[in-house]
Parts: sequence; structure tokens; C-alpha cells
Amino acid sequence: MRERMSRRQVLGIGGALGVVALGGLSSAAALSRRPASTGAVLRSAVPLPPAFAVPLPIPSVLSGAEIEIVQREVTAEILPGVPTRLWTYGGTFPGPTIESHRGRAVTVAHRNELPVPTVVHLHGGRTPAESDGYPTDLVLPAGWGHMGHGMHDPRAVTSEVTRSYTFPLDQRATMLWYHDHRMDFTAPAIWRGLAGMHIVRDSAEESLGLPSGVRELPLMIADRAFAADGSLAYPSIDPTLQMQHGVQEPYIAGVLGDVILVNGAPWPVHEVDAARYRLRILNASNARHYDLEAVLDDGRRLDLVQIGADQGLLRAPVIHRNLPIAPAERYDVILDFGQVPLGSRVRIVNRLGSGRTRDVMAFSVVRKAADSSRIPEVLSDDLPEWQRSEAVRVRDFSFRAGQMGDGHGWLIGGQAFAPDRTDVTTRLGDVEIWRLVADVHHPVHLHLVGFRVLSRGGRAPLPHDAGLKDTVSLRPGESAEIITRFDGYRGRYLFHCHNAEHEDMGMMANLEIT
Amino acid sequence: MVSGWVLRGVVSAHLVAVFGQPVFAGVYLSGDFDGLRMHAVGADIVTSLGYLQVIAAVVVWVRLRQVWPFVASLGVVVAETVQYFAGQDGVLWLHLPLGVMTVAAVVVLFIAVWRQPVVRREVGHA
Repeated sequence: MRERMSRRQVLGIGGALGVVALGGLSSAAALSRRPASTGAVLRSAVPLPPAFAVPLPIPSVLSGAEIEIVQREVTAEILPGVPTRLWTYGGTFPGPTIESHRGRAVTVAHRNELPVPTVVHLHGGRTPAESDGYPTDLVLPAGWGHMGHGMHDPRAVTSEVTRSYTFPLDQRATMLWYHDHRMDFTAPAIWRGLAGMHIVRDSAEESLGLPSGVRELPLMIADRAFAADGSLAYPSIDPTLQMQHGVQEPYIAGVLGDVILVNGAPWPVHEVDAARYRLRILNASNARHYDLEAVLDDGRRLDLVQIGADQGLLRAPVIHRNLPIAPAERYDVILDFGQVPLGSRVRIVNRLGSGRTRDVMAFSVVRKAADSSRIPEVLSDDLPEWQRSEAVRVRDFSFRAGQMGDGHGWLIGGQAFAPDRTDVTTRLGDVEIWRLVADVHHPVHLHLVGFRVLSRGGRAPLPHDAGLKDTVSLRPGESAEIITRFDGYRGRYLFHCHNAEHEDMGMMANLEIT
Repeated sequence: MVSGWVLRGVVSAHLVAVFGQPVFAGVYLSGDFDGLRMHAVGADIVTSLGYLQVIAAVVVWVRLRQVWPFVASLGVVVAETVQYFAGQDGVLWLHLPLGVMTVAAVVVLFIAVWRQPVVRREVGHA
């Protein structure tokens, strides 16, 4: 018989294992990001203004069947007293908000006066492939000449200086957004200012009696960081954005700024009536996620009544205390300032932020006012009802880090993006279920179509997954099932992660609809 | 005697089940959606075996006058219960290291129950 361990030995070894286990768990707790976040923060080198001092700007509005936008570099004052060079649509950041009507085609002629090629994508648009802004369909600036423009792609349609995009807008009323989608350089281009909002309306929505006019606010939330000279800081490998793409190693998971802008103003404040407001919220950040809540100074929280998702109105309102929003997602939300005492301040805060990135913006309730708006119990009855049994195909995709060429990249199904490789081919009209699995945060976006979230993490979707979406936010280790019908137009489209840094570093794939 | 052999059997089954968990997690993160379901079913099996093991260890404690299998099994079951909810809630900073530790603990327990002879300890000697 073997010798038994002495009590002393047992206690010694057991104690040592216990200490190691505790040490391991407490260092995991101390070193990990709780809550999890994907990306690295870039710190500004200029003094930052106090929160809730700058008024909220409302972008100018363009409408009509023919619109012209000049993409040009301007100097603007984002932080008070600090001049900042920006790349803009029409001279402002955000670019002008385009107002349009369902089924009425809009042609937008873009003229590129920037020093680099550009291409415009209307995010969430049901757009023919030739106007969808494929990353290699570049508009070259004057004098670009022989310089290279990204990966080889025999199907690319490049043009010089100008290009017209036609958007039929045969789709549900909602808020879309337009931004640069240039191959390999999307993230720095959006960061420098190439983003704007685009609203599609229809008569059904207009008849609901939702808050409108000055009580409807498009809100583009985006984080940025500022260099010592006032320019927008960004860790590009090639700051001219002409030849080499990508960001410096510490930022490959995403670039997070330390200044939160809403409609291009830092932590702005907006004076409101004591009435319902319709907030059309877009997260146009490259990598930052928010979990928004509306808090009064006494700590009381206002309900966020969600009436719409990425692709238009929900069937019925969904009430949230807090609302997570990933890059490129939109929420249509009603806030009722009539519920709070006159003179109150309602702060919109980000529960995922820390320090100054916890604040987003504020509303000052300054005026008593009549409010004839309402939130109907039934908002829409035209949401598609795809059933699992209708799906002709189920596809699985992993979104994860991996090797790309010589360096780190981000892969879909183990592969980095190649314009000349078709990853998914489907027939026009087919219903498919896609099952998406992520390693870290990946907001997954499909061009052309809206989809419904069937499940998340193997369980029922979360309350904010309601309605028709075009971007689904996967958290670390999370998965989701989505269902959609690929209809609208044939041609070459994309699906990709909308963390803009991931997108530039391989996390995109081709979707061919035949 | 029988109780000691039952404990050995349950601990062995527990070991096999707990080794499946990192396998299924890897399958899942490779992009195979069904891996998550396997990992979830595996979690049910592992925790169930953990509770069975505690019962078997109580019997060993009573019949064979050996308390350590109970104490060790209870520790493992507490860890697995925390692990179960950490996984469901996506608390990965806890789920990953605790998972590695749980597997290590079950391995140590497996070695211990098979190393120790299945005999009743004389009273007063414990």
C-alpha cells in the first residue's frame, strides 16, 4: 500500500492551489475590461471643453430628385477655439441630411475634390449594385493619374472626379446614412468626416402623429480624438491615406476616441420643450459601442420608447431603460420631456463609457408647450414575416481575428476580403438563415437587405433586436441567427463587420445575387 | 466499499464530460453554430454529474469515514455553478480562467480517488 500524505502536506498543497486559483481569478478580474470592449482609446492632446456647453448643431437638409454634393476639405471649429481640418460632404460634418420619400428615386452627384479616391455607400439603402458604392468603384480625384487604387478587381468601375449614384428608395421609411466605403481606407475616411444622414419618409408614417418638425432630431453620435495641432488624431500607418492601409498595431481591434461628438459637436446640449421628441439615433463611430440611457440630475431615468430599428418602424413600441447601440446601428426613439419638471436637465449617458466618455449629450427642458403628438400602439403592419421553414439555405460564418498576409487581420469564415472572390452566391428571392459567431465585438452588416434576428446566443433575441435590421451587434463569444430574403436587385454586394477598422483589415465578404 | 467504487465511476464520467467543454467551445468559436448547443448541453451534463458526485461523496463520508472527497467535490460543484451562469451571461473574463481551473480540479480529484484505496478508515484514526 502507498504511503498516505500527511495532513500537513494536504493542507500545504491544497492551500497553494487555492492561492494560485484565487490569484488567477482576481488578476482576470483586475486586468480584463469589464464591461468588455473592443478597441484601444486614442487620447486627445488638446484641452477638452466642458460637457453640455456647446449647442447641438442640426445638419442642413437637402431634398429633391437631383442632389449635388462636393466632397472637399475644410477647416472647421469642432472644439471651441480649435481649428480642425476635415474631409466633408458639402463642407460640413456631418454632411447635409438628405430628405427623401419612399419610392421616389434620388440621384446624388458626388464631386471628389479630396486628395484621395472616394466611393459613397448609402448604408441600409435598397440600391442597385452599380450605385451601392462597392469599395473598388472609386471616384479618382483630378490628377490621381497612374497612382494605384487598392486591390486588383477586374469588375471595378472607376470614374474621374464625379459620379452619380441613383437610389430608387423602394423601401420602408427609415433613417439611413451615407459614408465613404473606399477599399482599405473606410475607417480613416469616416473618421475625417465623410458621413451624413439620409431620411426616407412615407405617408403611412406621416399619418401616425409622431413628434415631428423641430421635435424630430437626427443625432449622429461619433467619437474622435484631437492631436496637439487641432487636427483629428488617427493612428494610420500612412497618414496621407494614399498607399499603405491599416492602423498601428495597438489599434487593430478598433480606434476609440476620447471626445464624444453628436452631430459634430462635443457633448452638446439642446434646449427642448416639455414635450415628446423623436430622436433618430445613429452610431457613426468606427468602433465604439454605447449603452444609452436618459438620466435626470436627480438620478431618475426616463424611458426610451423605441419605435423603430435600422430598417424602419417596429410593429409596436418597445420600452427600454437603456439601449445598446453598436457602430452603424440606428434606433428611432421617443423621449417624453413632458414628464419632467421645467428647468430639468436630461443627460444622455453611455453606460459602457468611463470618465468623460460616459457623457454623450444633454437636453435642457426650458419651455412649457402643447403636445399633440402620440405614440400609437400599432406602428406598422408591413414587417416581413419570414419563417424558418421558408429558408432554402442555412449558412454559418465565423467573425474572428486571424493572420492576413504578414500581419494581423480580421477574417470571415477564415478568409480575408478579396474583391475578386465570390464568397456567397444566392438567387434573387431566396430566403436564407445566416448563423453568425463572433470572437470579440463584431457589428455585422449586410448590404441591400434588412433581416430579422431569430436568436441570440442560442436563446430568444433581446428586446432591442426587435424589428427589421441591417446591422446586428455580436458581443464577445456571442452568436446570432438572422433570416432574410435576398430580393431587390441582382449583382455584387457585400457583407462585413462595421467596426470600420476590422472592415479595412479584411473583415468583408462578397455576396453575389444572381 | 461499493460507495467508493461508485464515487470513482462518477468522478471518471465527470472527467470525460468536463474535457468535452473546451472542445465544444473551440468548435463554436471556429464558427460552427452547433458548437454552442453542444457546449450548453455539455454544461448541463457536467453540472449534473457534479451534483451526483457530491451525493456519492456524502455516502463515502458516511460509509467510509472519508470527508475529503466531499469537501473537494463541493468546491468543484460551486465552481461549476458559477461557471454555468458566467457562461450564460457572457462574462468571459471569469468563464475562461474558471473553466481551466475547474478542469484542473476535476483531474486532481480523479487522480486522488483512484490513488486512494477504497477502504473504511478505522474510527478514531481520521
